[in-house]
Amino acid sequence: MRDLLGPYVLGALEPGEEREVEEHLEGCAECREEAQDLRLVHERLADLANATQTPPAGLKERVMDGIPRRETRRAPFVAAAAAVLCVLAVLGVLYAPGIIGREAVASATLKPTDIAPRAGGELRVRKDDPNARAELEVWGLPRPGKDEYYELWFGKEGGRMSAGTFTVDAEGRSTLYMTAPEEVSDYQQVGITLEKFPREPRMSSAKVVLGGELQES
Amino acid sequence: MSGDADEVLVRRVAASGDERAISELYDRYAGLVYGAGVRYLRDRALAEDLVQDVFTAVWRSAGSFDPSRASFATWVYRITRNRATDLIRRHRARVRTVGGEAYPEPGEEDPTGELSRSFDVASALSRISPVHREVLVLAYFHGLSQSEISRRTGTPLGTVKSRTTAALRALRENMSHDEDRGSADE
Repeated sequence: MRDLLGPYVLGALEPGEEREVEEHLEGCAECREEAQDLRLVHERLADLANATQTPPAGLKERVMDGIPRRETRRAPFVAAAAAVLCVLAVLGVLYAPGIIGREAVASATLKPTDIAPRAGGELRVRKDDPNARAELEVWGLPRPGKDEYYELWFGKEGGRMSAGTFTVDAEGRSTLYMTAPEEVSDYQQVGITLEKFPREPRMSSAKVVLGGELQES
Repeated sequence: MSGDADEVLVRRVAASGDERAISELYDRYAGLVYGAGVRYLRDRALAEDLVQDVFTAVWRSAGSFDPSRASFATWVYRITRNRATDLIRRHRARVRTVGGEAYPEPGEEDPTGELSRSFDVASALSRISPVHREVLVLAYFHGLSQSEISRRTGTPLGTVKSRTTAALRALRENMSHDEDRGSADE
């Protein structure tokens, strides 16, 4: 009889079986207690089913496409990579085969916010089969604090995509080559935010330091 | 579902950027995050933004997740609540800026704690055995009767009934484990 307590609390037994279980429960305190416990679990599961909605088709793909790839995820790595790039740029040996010289398909002039009024930047997107690449040059940005980093975003109505994270040198400059959305023409804005690695993430902590309209070339 | 615990999956995300692990966590929690978005933001497009924000945050901050302080479900619940608040604030600011249509007041966030409990139940559901999970998912999420589950799975009806009981017991044990660690909304 105890094996029927699950479907009993679900209300899923045939009327005859249900009566049998109820008669048994009247004389069995142990089963009554278990039925009470299982009814609570049943109610919690019903609440979960009620709170759950199937996300639209394609959302998972967009989420997976939107997560920054690991190589651009951690500030220490990015800081090291940016430092190397800065050194190479200073030495005049920056070389990016297949990117420099290709015609830009979109570009943006990045304008400052109150956080860094003298900062600025230029972004050019070039097709580099099979992917698009963003060439970003920024200047005048404050040096990020401990656990802080900059992040480049492509924005459109209803969503945004991270193109990666970076830091700047002591003079607030950086020149980087980052991932751009394949369908860059779908995006209208670009922006750079100052982000923080929090113990508990809050998007509101991000501050926009540069922003601009993306223009197709 | 792989059957790996949430905490194992999030460790893989933190350690090696394992995309299969974040995909698995999405399968476990996206429906709940999206449902919370639809319910509390009252806007399906914003609810989609919420799902995107939450799983991007999980990906980015997996390294800061500390399983000794809270379960993964608790952590995701808190991220969901914070992100939903941010989305409401940002959306209101944008409406004020561009003079768009009045935005309906969103519902009060989880006043009874039901959403927080649901994250715990989703977590417990991911930890029970696949055969137990299957029978509960078919009954509660697909609305199948015991006879329909029997036909769908090719399992004798009597076995489906006893398995349903065993599955609820297993879930109760796992929920007790969560309660010992504290609820999602403490």
